[in-house]
Amino acid sequence: MFSVARTAFQKNSLKLFLRCQSTNALTKTQLPFTYTASGPSLIKYTTEHEWIAAHEDGTAFIGITKYAADALGDVTYVELPEAGSDIAEGDTISSIESVKSASEIYQPIAGSLTEANQNLENSPQLINEDPLGAGWIAKIKIKDAKDLENPELLSLEQYEKSLAEDNH
Amino acid sequence: MCSILSQIIRRTVSSQLISIPPRNIKLRWLHSSKVLCKITPFDIDATADLNDEFNELNSMYTSMFSKSNSNNKDVHKVKTENSLVDDINELNDELNELCSPYDTRCGSQNVPKISGDDLKTLVENSGRFIMISLSNNPYFNLALEDYIYNNSGKASSITKSDNRNSFVNSERLMFYINDKCAVIGKNQTIWKELFMKNLYDNGYQVLRRFSGGGAVIHDLGNVNYSFLTSREDFRREFFNENIVKWLREQNPKLNINLNERGDITLDGYKVSGSAFKIGRGKSYHHGTMLINSRIDKFKGLLKPDELPNVKWNCNSINSVRSEITNLPLTSTKQFIDICIDGYKTHFQDSNIPVLYCDESDTMNIEIRKVMNKLMSYEWKATTGPPFEVQINTIDTQLTLTVEKGIIIKSTIPIFIGMPFQEFSRLSKALLQTDV
Repeated sequence: MFSVARTAFQKNSLKLFLRCQSTNALTKTQLPFTYTASGPSLIKYTTEHEWIAAHEDGTAFIGITKYAADALGDVTYVELPEAGSDIAEGDTISSIESVKSASEIYQPIAGSLTEANQNLENSPQLINEDPLGAGWIAKIKIKDAKDLENPELLSLEQYEKSLAEDNH
Repeated sequence: MCSILSQIIRRTVSSQLISIPPRNIKLRWLHSSKVLCKITPFDIDATADLNDEFNELNSMYTSMFSKSNSNNKDVHKVKTENSLVDDINELNDELNELCSPYDTRCGSQNVPKISGDDLKTLVENSGRFIMISLSNNPYFNLALEDYIYNNSGKASSITKSDNRNSFVNSERLMFYINDKCAVIGKNQTIWKELFMKNLYDNGYQVLRRFSGGGAVIHDLGNVNYSFLTSREDFRREFFNENIVKWLREQNPKLNINLNERGDITLDGYKVSGSAFKIGRGKSYHHGTMLINSRIDKFKGLLKPDELPNVKWNCNSINSVRSEITNLPLTSTKQFIDICIDGYKTHFQDSNIPVLYCDESDTMNIEIRKVMNKLMSYEWKATTGPPFEVQINTIDTQLTLTVEKGIIIKSTIPIFIGMPFQEFSRLSKALLQTDV
């Protein structure tokens, strides 16, 4: 009984902790947000810890979450995707190296890649410093806006809830 | 200059880089008089070039392009020093070839090997297993590992996060021993890390793996382990912590530890190096373990941090140079057995099947495709970021910009458009500098 109560307390405090931190929210001062004056129309997350910020004109930015960046440790190299290619949902768009690990980054929804964040070439640490802002990885043109309604794409709240479940 | 270049280019066609290792598999046995040496493999070994069949030709070009011939006599020095050590080593090599723990001539041909089709079923479905490769072909072993990684749990669709439970109790452990080769990390620049010429002259294959990290040298005295688990359960230190624990249980006197980079050390010398790959729903940690490697032969194969007269401007991953030694076990088989016992105990499952595979019995189209990729010049050499290299020669400074393996800018225009691989081969003859 006591242990059940304690677990519930731990879970609640973890949720509270996450909500207060909410570090997986998009950085409001960087391009993925400021691309349009009003900010992105939709921000979604994947269970593989990518985020996608979609704007009205069908442009979207892709990066990895703060949770993922922290888990990776110091990023030392980002393999940048080549612009101009059509990429299906789930295809690998990039790979990030940190502490001897090569981690694959996947395309959350189908689209064509219009630009890679060239700043990462010389400053891979931007992924650690500001994963949801200056550390964006790819800019894409979404193929079909309806794809954003895919239930496998999570809201910020759902994503952080899934993290809490993984870590309890 | 042009005609000299074209002459040299003609005899340095890049075919060497994509040659398939000989099928005649070298066998091994524990060293009767083990040479336990602790060296830095990236020391430049002046003798490493002596077997070069092109030495005479190279030194001819060197003398044509150098102001003084005084250095050339070194090149012609015959390998007589250390001849006793060499004799002992030769003897060891012969002994090694007599029998091997996983030796096709010593009874393991009777071990049933899994077929390509059975491997597919095994890998795609859930369930733990241990796989021991009897092949010493590094291309096959890396392709097999990649196949298991890419297809693990496919049938039970572990790739969908909702079904992540299907990966529970499906960890995979694999062992393989590669014949002489240098293996660089996914995001490295081969010429920056390796003395390519010394490697080829001494019969080493050069491979780029799919995981991160730095360059390592393999031979038949080094055993590779590879542990695959779900992305959620991935923890960098997990497997090496266990190896240390299992080895200490075996021999409490061993002074083995994990260093700050998570690598296993013996008396402070590195005996093992690790690298990781993390993808959708899955991850693996693989590592090398030096048991009775001919570490004395590793000299002059990996480049040191800095070489005189050469400056690299390059974002690729740098290797962390470390002094290495062998783990004092009797054989690679002993290490594998210790790990298998400890592994079964850890998962409290004595029924984890141990399966064997080799290149002739365990092949499928996907493994072959990955082998082809690993052998391709494009994957080995031209993958990776663009770089700039500055070379100071006796009378000039040469700066080259290289993209996808091709020199696109050069302060000496003749090199523009040349594959950097070829430039690298010529550099010693032309510039007296290994680039």
